[in-house]
Amino acid sequence: MRSMRLIARRELAQFFTSPIAYLVAFAILVLTGFMFNSDLAQRVGKAPPDGTYVLGVFGFFTVFFAPLLTMRLFAEETREGTLELMLTMPVRDSDIVLGKFLGAWAYYSAILALTLVYPISLMAVTQPKPFEAVGQLDIGPVISSYIGIWLFGGAALAIGLTFSALTENQVIAGFLGIAVLFVLWLADFAGQVVQNQTVAEAIRALSLQAHYSTSFLIGVIRFEDVVFFIGLIVVMLFITTRVLESRRWR
Amino acid sequence: MTRTVMIDVENLTKRYGRFVALDGISFQAVEGEILGFLGPNGAGKTTTMRILTGYTPPTSGRASVAGFDVFDDSLEMRRHVGYLPETVPLYRDMTVRGYVDYIAQLHGIADRRRRVDEVLEQVGMHDRQRSLIRTLSKGMRQRVGLAQALVHDPEVLILDEPTIGLDPQQVQDVRRLIHTLGERRTVLLSTHILSEAEQLCDRIAIIDRGRIIAVGTPAELQSQLQRGRRLFVRVGSGVSTNDMLRLIKAVPGVEQVQAERGGYVVTVRDGADARPALASAIVGHGAALLELRPLALTLEEMFLEFTTRAESPSRRQ
Repeated sequence: MRSMRLIARRELAQFFTSPIAYLVAFAILVLTGFMFNSDLAQRVGKAPPDGTYVLGVFGFFTVFFAPLLTMRLFAEETREGTLELMLTMPVRDSDIVLGKFLGAWAYYSAILALTLVYPISLMAVTQPKPFEAVGQLDIGPVISSYIGIWLFGGAALAIGLTFSALTENQVIAGFLGIAVLFVLWLADFAGQVVQNQTVAEAIRALSLQAHYSTSFLIGVIRFEDVVFFIGLIVVMLFITTRVLESRRWR
Repeated sequence: MTRTVMIDVENLTKRYGRFVALDGISFQAVEGEILGFLGPNGAGKTTTMRILTGYTPPTSGRASVAGFDVFDDSLEMRRHVGYLPETVPLYRDMTVRGYVDYIAQLHGIADRRRRVDEVLEQVGMHDRQRSLIRTLSKGMRQRVGLAQALVHDPEVLILDEPTIGLDPQQVQDVRRLIHTLGERRTVLLSTHILSEAEQLCDRIAIIDRGRIIAVGTPAELQSQLQRGRRLFVRVGSGVSTNDMLRLIKAVPGVEQVQAERGGYVVTVRDGADARPALASAIVGHGAALLELRPLALTLEEMFLEFTTRAESPSRRQ
């Protein structure tokens, strides 16, 4: 437990000592900023403000940038030889995996927290004024979306982490992570490609969008979606621990 | 006084698929002893060390370090071992102090500040503690690696090729450091430099293709290798090489002679000491004898010697 916390803390600090973390944060803010602005411009005077629009986009971004955050976590340590050190320290393998995962998730949460600027500014510009035609911000879906994207991010990081443990090449780890997440993201469209309804529904059950975009994002918190993401995290972290253990035998 | 056995290895075997990396090796190391593993690359030195540090489990056999089984009590055992792998494991983006401190935290050291200071002082990196590891030279990185292995004050130190890739001055520094460390602790180190093993180790285990083929103090090993000894002879100018070769060849006990390295390399038959006869023959011929000394065995020769010995009995069976 203690070592897990130490490892998580070091990983989090590592994100902030490397320039990549700041670049990612910068890029995310610029992109979501554009989205927010154009969406808001279209709505002014026509539709009520949508506090979840940016988070919908953020979900798609997560597919690409979660593996970028996790790709070095194990791949780099394997290459630098520090993994050999960690595996001979009085630390459990699962503590190493959990520590790295929690460090990455904490960083993801920090970036996610930056996007709070959008709902807050929406709240500021839509003060309840009884005679205004356009409605005020519906805060409910915003809260459920944040819960959803946070869990989604955790699952995406867990998948990325697994690939980082599988290879010592960061680029391959990152690429495979993005590829898998992208396929899972697009699995929502299985019905358009697969004729067999049962198969299509089975594929869609694994889709990231189905568990996020059409539930959390529209203000619904369903038990099965929460279980899906938490289950995905647990399973991927378990696999990562096994992969790490298998290094001992090779 | 009997000294506690700190490393106890019995019949250890490690297979990777069909490849046998370790073929039933057994050895012991007691407290305050520096044991050297001498062998070529791929002989099984690193594999043994990885088993003894809990990195990889053995296929069969038993090993315990500081009284803890490497497989059953792996986590507890690791608290008593300091390990410096061949590729020094460093986080390049951390400062020297940050890194050693992090390792100390993972070990759960109580008085961390003091201990980190102490160990940085010991390896001579205290004045560079604020530097980023990526900016350090190879020798300094090696020292930081040692600091990491020492920070929890382990009873057993396992060092894989601790002097590889260092310049001569750094090699001397690291050797001196290891020597001091070995006064109190059990040190297991691997090397493929014979002179290093001789200089540093109380005992040497020669390991080849997964088996220990000889163990003993450096002196014991040398004396086991008396047969087929070679001498180096240098004489003053004035005598032709051919004459000299013929003259030396005629001395009783001489098996072979070659002109080499500005002198003559003489191979002497088993058990014979040809030096007095050689000296008098040369001087009697009227040549000036400038040098006559036994040629130290090179590592290659020592290996050949021991491996052929290790093989011949099995061939007879």
